[in-house]
Amino acid sequence: MESGLKPLGKEKLWLWLMLTPTLIGLVFGIVGSILATLGLSFTHWDLLTPPRWAGLENYKVLFTDPKLIKALVNTITFSLLYVPAVVVASLAVAMLMNRKIKGLSIFRTIYFLPAVTSAVATAIVWNMIYGQDHGLLNWVLGRIGIAGVSWLSTKNVLSALIIVNVWGAIGEGMIIFLAGLTTIPKDYYEAATLDGANRRKQFWKITLPLITPSIFFQTLMSTINAFQAYDYIYMLTRRGQGDSTFPVMVYSIYRNAWTFFNYGGASAQAIELSLFVVALMAFYFWLEKRYVFYD
Amino acid sequence: MSAKRSKKILDLITYTLLILGAITMITPFLWMIATSFKLPADQYTHTLIPTNPTLQNFRELFKVDINFPRLFLNSTLISIMVVVGQLLTCAMAAFCFAVVKFKGRNLLFALLMVTMMFPAQVTLIPNFIIFKWLKLVGTSVPLWLPAFMGGAFGTFLLRQYFLSVPKELIDAARMDGASLFQIFWKIYMPLGKPALSALAIFVFKDAWNDLLHPLVYMPSVPNTTLTVGLAFFNQQLTFGGKFTVLMAGALISILPLVLVFFIAQKQFIEGISLSGIRH
Amino acid sequence: MKRTLIMVLLVLVLAFTACTAPAAPVQAPEQASTEKVKLTFSAWGAPEELAVWKEIVNDFQAKYPNITVNVEVGDWDAYWDKIKTQLAANTAPDIFAMDAPLYLDYQTRGVLLNLQPFVDANPDMMKDIYPQTLEAYKTADGYYGLPRDFNTIVLFYNKDMFDKAKVAYPTVDWTWDDLREAAKKLTLDTNGDGKIDQYGYTFDQWDMEPGWSEALWSYGGEIVNAERTKTLIGEPQAREAWQMLYDMVFKDKSCPDANQVAELGGDPFTAGRAAMNAMGHWAVPGYVGAGFQFDAAPMPKGPAGHATSVNSAGFVVAKTTKYPKESFEFIKYVLSPDAQGKLAKLGFAVPVLKSVAESDTFLKQEGSTLIQQVFLDSLEFAHMKPVFRGYDEWAAAVGDGLAPVWNGEAELNATLDEVVKAADAVLAKVK
Repeated sequence: MESGLKPLGKEKLWLWLMLTPTLIGLVFGIVGSILATLGLSFTHWDLLTPPRWAGLENYKVLFTDPKLIKALVNTITFSLLYVPAVVVASLAVAMLMNRKIKGLSIFRTIYFLPAVTSAVATAIVWNMIYGQDHGLLNWVLGRIGIAGVSWLSTKNVLSALIIVNVWGAIGEGMIIFLAGLTTIPKDYYEAATLDGANRRKQFWKITLPLITPSIFFQTLMSTINAFQAYDYIYMLTRRGQGDSTFPVMVYSIYRNAWTFFNYGGASAQAIELSLFVVALMAFYFWLEKRYVFYD
Repeated sequence: MSAKRSKKILDLITYTLLILGAITMITPFLWMIATSFKLPADQYTHTLIPTNPTLQNFRELFKVDINFPRLFLNSTLISIMVVVGQLLTCAMAAFCFAVVKFKGRNLLFALLMVTMMFPAQVTLIPNFIIFKWLKLVGTSVPLWLPAFMGGAFGTFLLRQYFLSVPKELIDAARMDGASLFQIFWKIYMPLGKPALSALAIFVFKDAWNDLLHPLVYMPSVPNTTLTVGLAFFNQQLTFGGKFTVLMAGALISILPLVLVFFIAQKQFIEGISLSGIRH
Repeated sequence: MKRTLIMVLLVLVLAFTACTAPAAPVQAPEQASTEKVKLTFSAWGAPEELAVWKEIVNDFQAKYPNITVNVEVGDWDAYWDKIKTQLAANTAPDIFAMDAPLYLDYQTRGVLLNLQPFVDANPDMMKDIYPQTLEAYKTADGYYGLPRDFNTIVLFYNKDMFDKAKVAYPTVDWTWDDLREAAKKLTLDTNGDGKIDQYGYTFDQWDMEPGWSEALWSYGGEIVNAERTKTLIGEPQAREAWQMLYDMVFKDKSCPDANQVAELGGDPFTAGRAAMNAMGHWAVPGYVGAGFQFDAAPMPKGPAGHATSVNSAGFVVAKTTKYPKESFEFIKYVLSPDAQGKLAKLGFAVPVLKSVAESDTFLKQEGSTLIQQVFLDSLEFAHMKPVFRGYDEWAAAVGDGLAPVWNGEAELNATLDEVVKAADAVLAKVK
């Protein structure tokens, strides 16, 4: 990855011009997001009165409050299941669509639709689908002879949430992978066929290596999305005024900041969340150096 | 097995899988569409075709005095601005990060990635205070101005794509005397069409569906976006058992996104065939 | 480095803006009436309410030509997010709506304007307001807010379902046992598929107001003590009430559990799946739209007699307002018979003015066969929904804590023990 373009003379100006908008955004992003959040995490702030110094109190609570620990555990569990599921599923779908078949644009639209809608509206539909007594899913299962389950009870809610979130994310992943698959020249496959390699060999030796950039991207983004997952989970697990049967980090952060007048605590949680994701990202980038092949 | 027969079997498997998957993907929507045409009394039935189809749900949406067309227009304009801002600034940054050698490149990129970590719920207040200080609260500016200052997701996506463009093209262009910017504009941007159209779709969708930011920056109906207007109905309808009207509202808010996808999709197809010819 | 300096500066500016206590403008009581005044009024509500607020605002502006009022109405969740953001950044609306239990969270944090001077200057205004509704807003140094309308919780029932099952309508003499009997008869599997499609009774399993506070009070129990230092929902009399509710859900199965409620969209009564519901007046427009015949009776008696919950929506003025006098004029106008009458016609709540509530404007509403008098009569035995600082967090400790019970996943008494402990911890924290 070390070859590239070296800016010559006056071009250095162009380089910095092109980077300026992003640099400005970085300053606002760093100040507005990171520094402010970090600063506030050391305070007790209820939004209405001036912040008071809290030292490390908000951080200490992260390790002792069972509610906060539960939120963290739920988030990690969810992510562990969600990321592989969505990456594999969207890659599979993209590969199925990367061939000359009739009705391709219709298929593409259908698979992309869930990604396009607001989680709030579709989550209500899923609530109806997952209903134990009157839900569509149990009704369908009943017709093929399988007993229905209470999908949103604490026993099964995780599976139900994974299904919905994967459903909502396949479309995006499919597009990323399709874009990536297009960069693999067709002649490679032709040459391989001529050499007598069958489809499975072609997949492992040509497709998979050359699509690692997309896999890397998709895995990283899915991880970030998994840790920040909120909309579907909230809409499907909310009980009454702001309670949830499967609390995740973002839900807990939101509740602390906006319902409990505890902005400092919420900021500490946000930092905790980011540290996890940063650690994972560092891990992914290390993997990138070893396993991802760019042209 | 002859090549032709194995292809036919593969096609069959492909079609079956795709169709089964498609049914799963689309069933919630079919139900959503069907419910929006059902009478409230029928809202729990499992039929896909309403027994008593009606337009009253849509009429009820428009009955309320919140000026839907104006909200629609606001959402559209803001979302378009956001797309333009992101496509331009992220592409420029992605090009620099992917292709150009300069000191501090990796550090800067890492910093950019870190900003993606923070959920909007927490960054909202610090950002709000900044915009209040700039006296921009109550306008749409906070909703699209940040889009012109780059973005981690877009830059990352485009960087990945740009990295897979063969470097020989740069060498060839340099030999033809092309400048830095020309290489960006004349080679990478056209080649980047599939990734750019993908980004456009994602960015538009996020801007269109955003509730939190228009809510705090533009709280007064009708000077606000469609999502805020629809959220108005949310409580009454979810807890009032009027799914039918909520579905009608959701349907209306989805339509532009589907339209955008159709349009952007075409770019996709071009991109795919272009790369085929290239090699 | 220059960039570090800029960042440090920006952070300092942020901290400075956040820390600056809002300067309380002390306006002279008299102001030149030719000055153009712009007020912002923010409230939560349904789209229909926006229309009526605009009417009220127009009437107000006609009376005070130099004042314009900008009305913002949003849904409940969004409203509080917005208000808190605005208060944090000192861009709060001049007048905004307040829910009584949350009032002290804002008042004790010094963001509200003390209305006592204005109240003292307008003694007649207060005379006609129901005293029970004013309770919640009284503090040691006066009123920082005033009620706008109120709700008492009553027992709504679906007349069609009662007629079909040939069960007698609820009366004022009903006890909880009577309700249980009727609920059992009204729980039916209407289409023979082995699953219950209609429940006899439903109540909110999280929020005490349309749910369980009435039951606890009618058994002689209490919610919190007067000093707000102890949670009392685990005391013996309260536990009897809890047991009664629990048995209805899990023994009689005449009441849906939490999962079943969610499946029915969160509101089984409006969805036409429950025969009885403990609820306030705010649900009436939704019931009217649902299309079935319904009416209301007082909440049933418990061993300690009749009890129900009274709560109000009110308004407060932001301390940072530039126009305290005009803001109060607006409040005064909304508390006048005209405006109260308009709000009453909306059907979301009961007017706080006795003269309006006891007049035909409220009692005989167009298109409604509902016995409105029930809401007024219930005031006799209504307990105030508790108001205290930290209410949201306390309610979450209780509601969240009890959720596994209503899911059928935890035992009632053991959970109550834990919940009381957790709730007390919150009370200790916010003191």
